[in-house]
Amino acid sequence: MSMIEVEKLTRDYGAGKGVFDLSFSVEKGEAFGFLGPNGAGKTTTIRHLMGFLKCRSGSCRIGGRDCWKERDEIQRRLGYIPGEISFFEDMTGTEFLRFLRWYRNVGVLSREKELLEYFELNPDTKIRKMSKGMKQKLGITAALMHDPAILILDEPTSGLDPLMQSRFIELMQREKQRGKTILLSSHMFEEVERTCDTIGIIRQGKLAEVDSVENLRKRHVRSYTVTLETEELAEAFARDFGGEARGREAVVFTRQSLEDIFMHYYGGEQK
Amino acid sequence: MIQASLYRREIKGSLKLLIILGAVMTMYVSIIISMYDPEMAELLDSYVEMMPELMAAVGMTAGAQSLLEFMSSYLYGFILLIFPMLFSILRGNALICRYIEKGSMVYLTAAPVKRRTIAFTQAAVLMSGIVLLLAYTTGLEIGCARYYFPNELDIEKLIFLNLGLLSLQLFISGWCFLASCFFSDAKYSIGVGAGVPVLMYVLQMLANVGGKAEKAKYFTFFTLFQPDGIIAMENQALLGAGILLAGAVLLYIAAILVFSRRDLYI
Repeated sequence: MSMIEVEKLTRDYGAGKGVFDLSFSVEKGEAFGFLGPNGAGKTTTIRHLMGFLKCRSGSCRIGGRDCWKERDEIQRRLGYIPGEISFFEDMTGTEFLRFLRWYRNVGVLSREKELLEYFELNPDTKIRKMSKGMKQKLGITAALMHDPAILILDEPTSGLDPLMQSRFIELMQREKQRGKTILLSSHMFEEVERTCDTIGIIRQGKLAEVDSVENLRKRHVRSYTVTLETEELAEAFARDFGGEARGREAVVFTRQSLEDIFMHYYGGEQK
Repeated sequence: MIQASLYRREIKGSLKLLIILGAVMTMYVSIIISMYDPEMAELLDSYVEMMPELMAAVGMTAGAQSLLEFMSSYLYGFILLIFPMLFSILRGNALICRYIEKGSMVYLTAAPVKRRTIAFTQAAVLMSGIVLLLAYTTGLEIGCARYYFPNELDIEKLIFLNLGLLSLQLFISGWCFLASCFFSDAKYSIGVGAGVPVLMYVLQMLANVGGKAEKAKYFTFFTLFQPDGIIAMENQALLGAGILLAGAVLLYIAAILVFSRRDLYI
């Protein structure tokens, strides 16, 4: 059974903005990368899944439940990192997490401590005085503290330095192994590439492509055959560039990065 | 129906404003009550004679026959209307709309808590604030009256009067709360939440001045609150208070429904 199902979702904001006839599903234990430029409709889709917006046309279901009517039930097992995080500024991070623990009724099962240590965050500062990175870490902790089965992450690594970004990606890989279902929205390719099994590319509110990360890569691999003076040179060349040597010839590959693949789907419009 | 930790947080968040308003009201109420001796009352009444329109506008009239009538004239036309109203406007906006505007509503809604429960909890916070403020006022009035003029105050009637005032203030807070639940932008939430009651109060002031402007009283809900009528236990005044209370209930129910069914762009 699909964990997350979006079926023919349409929300027209006018002037080409919104999402149009959007359908996709994420299986249990799958990590789905939702890739698209700003304003493509990623956040609008997520707002429907979160039960913030009511589907006017089409439907959204999580775990078989209607995302609008049964939103509070769905939230029990869901963790969410919003694209633009805003906390209760008057609190310290510690107070905020304590509030959430009570508010969500998480109790002693909270993974709060483990996560704070993992991200090296000391939350005992007024939230209003925190840096963007600290707020992001706090947002991640808040989203994962109740060990949810489904994760909806809207650009989760924005504001994190590269080290912390890798740490986050490693964490997501572990969570996936633990059977979590993940929907990760991003306009950053690496984040999605390293975490997800499937990628849906969204463009102007429509899905341009849904495929596995592997297939997307394969489709965009080019090979070159280079002839060198000696077999030794050809072998060395192949070794250095990760190719194969065939006598004096060496075959090398260039993998287009997802970024290039991405541009392939978006390029036209922007020029 | 009430989410306890949210309620606790918001009551804590209301305390500062409650203390400030309580302090200002303490000052006014104690000063006004202390002025109810024949000489001072004469002085106040002379102001009324000097500038009858201005004083009448804020509900102040001369010739009170008892301490309660005196209070009704000098406290229940302005001070006890405006300060609790200020609480409703400021907190009403902060309890829902500010969370939506800032986006932190995410953390209230992305949790296994029904929207209905969130709205009901915030409504309860607003109502609790108003009740607390008026309960304090009642205690203060009784205390001041005891101190300055023992045995002069009809406490039973005072309590009726304040229940009437409570109906009015709950009605105003219900309106502010509805505006807060309806809009996503604090400037509209405050604009409509505060604008309508303030406009109505201005109409009430016009109506109080009398003459042709008296017709304005048909266009303001403040007309439904008649302090002198309640003290005299007139049916019409009691009915007015009842209408305000029923209106308050309807406004709060409407607000909770609006919040439960609306789209949130957070």
